[in-house]
Amino acid sequence: MGLRLQRVLKLYSDFRLELDFEVRPGELLTLLGPSGCGKTTTLRIVAGFISPDRGEILMGGRRIDGLPPHRRGIGIVFQDYALFPHLSVADNVAFGPHMQGWSRARSAARVEELLGLVSLGGYGRRKVTHLSGGEQQRVALARALAPNPKLLLLDEPLSALDAKLRQGLRGEIRRIQRELGLTTVYVTHDQEEALALADRIAVMRDGRIEQIDAPRDLYRRPRSLFVASFLGQANLVPARVAGREGERVIVDTPLGRFRVAAGGEGCGQDASGADPVPGAPLTLFFRPEGCDLQQSGNPREGGRKGPNRVRALIRRIEYLGSRQLLEVEAAGLRLTLDLPGRDSFAVGEGVCFGVPPERCCLLER
Amino acid sequence: MSPPSGPRGLPGRVGALLVRRPSANEPEGLSLPLSLLVLLGPAAFLVWFFFYPLGSVFATGVSVARVSRILGDSYYRRIIAFTIEQAFLSTVLAVLMGLPGAYLLARYEFLGKRFVRALTTVPFVLPSIIVVLGFVRFFGNNGVLNRALMAVFDLDEPPLRVLYSLKAILLAHAFYNFPICVRIVSAVWSRLRPSTEEAARSLGAHGMRLFWRVTLPQILPGILSAAALIFIFCLLSFAVVLVLGGGPRYSTVEVEVYRLAKLSVDLQSASALAFVGSLISLGFLYLYIRLQSRASFGEELSGAGELPRLRTLLRRPAGVLFLLYLGMMTLVVLAPMATVVAYSFQARTGWNLRTVSLEWYRRILEAGGPYLRAVLNSLFFAALTVLFSLPLGTLLAYVAARTRMRGRQVLEALMMLPIGISSVILGLGYLKAFRSLPGLGDRLQGSWYAIVLAHTVIAYPFVIRAAGAMFRKIKPSLVEAARSLGAGPWRVFWRLELPLARSALVTGAAFAFGISVGEINATLMLYNARLTTIPVMIYRLIGSYNFIGACAMGSVLMAFCFLAFMIIDRAGEEV
Repeated sequence: MGLRLQRVLKLYSDFRLELDFEVRPGELLTLLGPSGCGKTTTLRIVAGFISPDRGEILMGGRRIDGLPPHRRGIGIVFQDYALFPHLSVADNVAFGPHMQGWSRARSAARVEELLGLVSLGGYGRRKVTHLSGGEQQRVALARALAPNPKLLLLDEPLSALDAKLRQGLRGEIRRIQRELGLTTVYVTHDQEEALALADRIAVMRDGRIEQIDAPRDLYRRPRSLFVASFLGQANLVPARVAGREGERVIVDTPLGRFRVAAGGEGCGQDASGADPVPGAPLTLFFRPEGCDLQQSGNPREGGRKGPNRVRALIRRIEYLGSRQLLEVEAAGLRLTLDLPGRDSFAVGEGVCFGVPPERCCLLER
Repeated sequence: MSPPSGPRGLPGRVGALLVRRPSANEPEGLSLPLSLLVLLGPAAFLVWFFFYPLGSVFATGVSVARVSRILGDSYYRRIIAFTIEQAFLSTVLAVLMGLPGAYLLARYEFLGKRFVRALTTVPFVLPSIIVVLGFVRFFGNNGVLNRALMAVFDLDEPPLRVLYSLKAILLAHAFYNFPICVRIVSAVWSRLRPSTEEAARSLGAHGMRLFWRVTLPQILPGILSAAALIFIFCLLSFAVVLVLGGGPRYSTVEVEVYRLAKLSVDLQSASALAFVGSLISLGFLYLYIRLQSRASFGEELSGAGELPRLRTLLRRPAGVLFLLYLGMMTLVVLAPMATVVAYSFQARTGWNLRTVSLEWYRRILEAGGPYLRAVLNSLFFAALTVLFSLPLGTLLAYVAARTRMRGRQVLEALMMLPIGISSVILGLGYLKAFRSLPGLGDRLQGSWYAIVLAHTVIAYPFVIRAAGAMFRKIKPSLVEAARSLGAGPWRVFWRLELPLARSALVTGAAFAFGISVGEINATLMLYNARLTTIPVMIYRLIGSYNFIGACAMGSVLMAFCFLAFMIIDRAGEEV
């Protein structure tokens, strides 16, 4: 069942939340953004704990914004799990079915089924306070799923766990969500988690959604400076449009003249997709791993050959094993290159690299 | 703060209930109509059985002429001055006695520390009449201490004459209340960051200078808060002054109101004096709440490190003094109680001849006798008090914790007001208010439900305090989780919040039981021969110098209070 927020507005004395987006049926959408951007507030508006000042919330085409939380049929997994400390694992999971007035036998069967689903079969009689963090998280998930919700909301469900457990559990959440085909909204501030889990990611900033896209598109084609620099690492260079050359836009930058693929993987020149106006100030964006080291032994030779060649000086090397990050300086700008770990470099050495036009983007400044 | 008889609860939380902590990310809370609906019953109860009686006292007392007559009369002026004077001196004494104990509890680890800490709750659960009795038997002319001194030094006369004097009042108050100082100050002291003292030490401060310049300024809010609380207790103290003061010379406002109303039947003067007294006590209560909010009762520091063992003190001469102090103070708290119990197992066989006997317990258990009747009355009143005050306090605490209403602080202050009104005055209010009602008046005075209602009004703020703290501790996400799983507000309350608050409700019930069973102030105003309770019976037995009987009844009372104490201690562990 799909979820749609239509021109939803919530005003606070120091904060304004404006939401207009859709979660498609069966989709897992992550809300990603820095803390304080309104992710959790968005979730609480959908759940019904906060009522918006304006706008409509529709679930499966039906308005739900007038319903109290307990009539919305939405399952929630809380950041702190919010397990009921006075109830056993099984009673926690059975709480929802019980509230729905299910028969004892049906609830019991449902509890068995869900504990199996989250790999906690046989844990029913334990006290929730005696479980590990990961186990509590699974119980919270099972409890949210037990009354057959039409929508699942997860509020940073893995943030209290250590890195290793987090990876395992996020795979499991994904598997269960797929298995049930459950429409899901997942709040997180961890980009890796968002990229790994989501069908689509909504990047939020200051109470608005900056961009919603599939993880791959979002990473490769950010539509704003904020998205480009929030997700992964970005090299950002001031640029000015010089003209056009077939499918490529030519820009002048402190690093020299750059050719940027207008269609294909390069992001739109501007929001409307119209041709860039010559002289317009933009920002050239490319990922550190989008740079190719020039193969020729002598940097001088190939320095001006091929498109988008840059000569730079290595300032710092961060060796990570399989990869290495080179911080280089060119034309007074600091750039980062993400290169395979096999080549050796030294600080102070000159280096020449190229950025293929299809890995470049132009963003509005 | 009113009932200095009976348990008075952990003072650290009184202010917390009156001054609401703002909390981020609160759940949606109760809507205004729902809040008002829930408040309806409790509010009606309080208006009828607290505000109306209180108002009728003040309505009689508050006229410029009467108040100025009271204030102009040198006799009453002296009584008011003495009330404040004895409270001030008692407080200074209690704080001085308590500070070393606070230091030891905060800074050292020792065997039985848990026991000593538990002992500091004794003032909250021990009825004042027991303190009086223990004091008389232990420090009295014919008491344990004097007889021991006479035996050791071969004296003919008791060397210590303290009863029926200012000394007696001050000593009893100090012994009764110094554990409060130990409790509050040690809590603040143990939460000091050790790093500030370490920093001062590295900068060259040590010994007394370290204490004066670095430690004392940090624990001062705690000391002032403890002092203000003790001051209020002593201001409203009733049984101690009534018995140990021994007459009009050492009368306080409380005792004088009782005398005027009950013995002289001058309700108008009693009301005027009660009004003046209430203004004074409410003023100091306000002061206490302000001080309380300044003392930091932050989270226990986890990185405080391990405390040194107490025996390391033995290496210093001053340390030995500390150890002596610890022993003395434990004795001071326990000895009067032990004396009461020990004395209760005696029987007179002739002038000055005594044997060990269960004679008095036999008499207490005698079917149809006045003593058994008093015990049963007390239990009956206490059971009904629990029955009434538990739902009353729980509902009020719930609304206070969850409502979205504006003016919540005013609401909470109104709810907690009985704490700042002495129960003698409450009893006076019942006498006045319900006398004027045709029919009900005669029946209410000297009827069992007048006592139960008064006890309920005195006890319910302690239920609010226990339950309110718990309702606030319930994480908002728990409530939201239950809501998202399909539980409406009503079912969230019954299936989630009430079960989670269970241990707090047990604590509240134990407090209510203990308060009712030890209450003497309002009871003395309202009882008649049929309705004698254990404390009243003890008071009468003391009055007729029947100390063995008083001690036997006292032991029975202590057994009930010990029960309440154990339940509170247990529940406190769970919370």
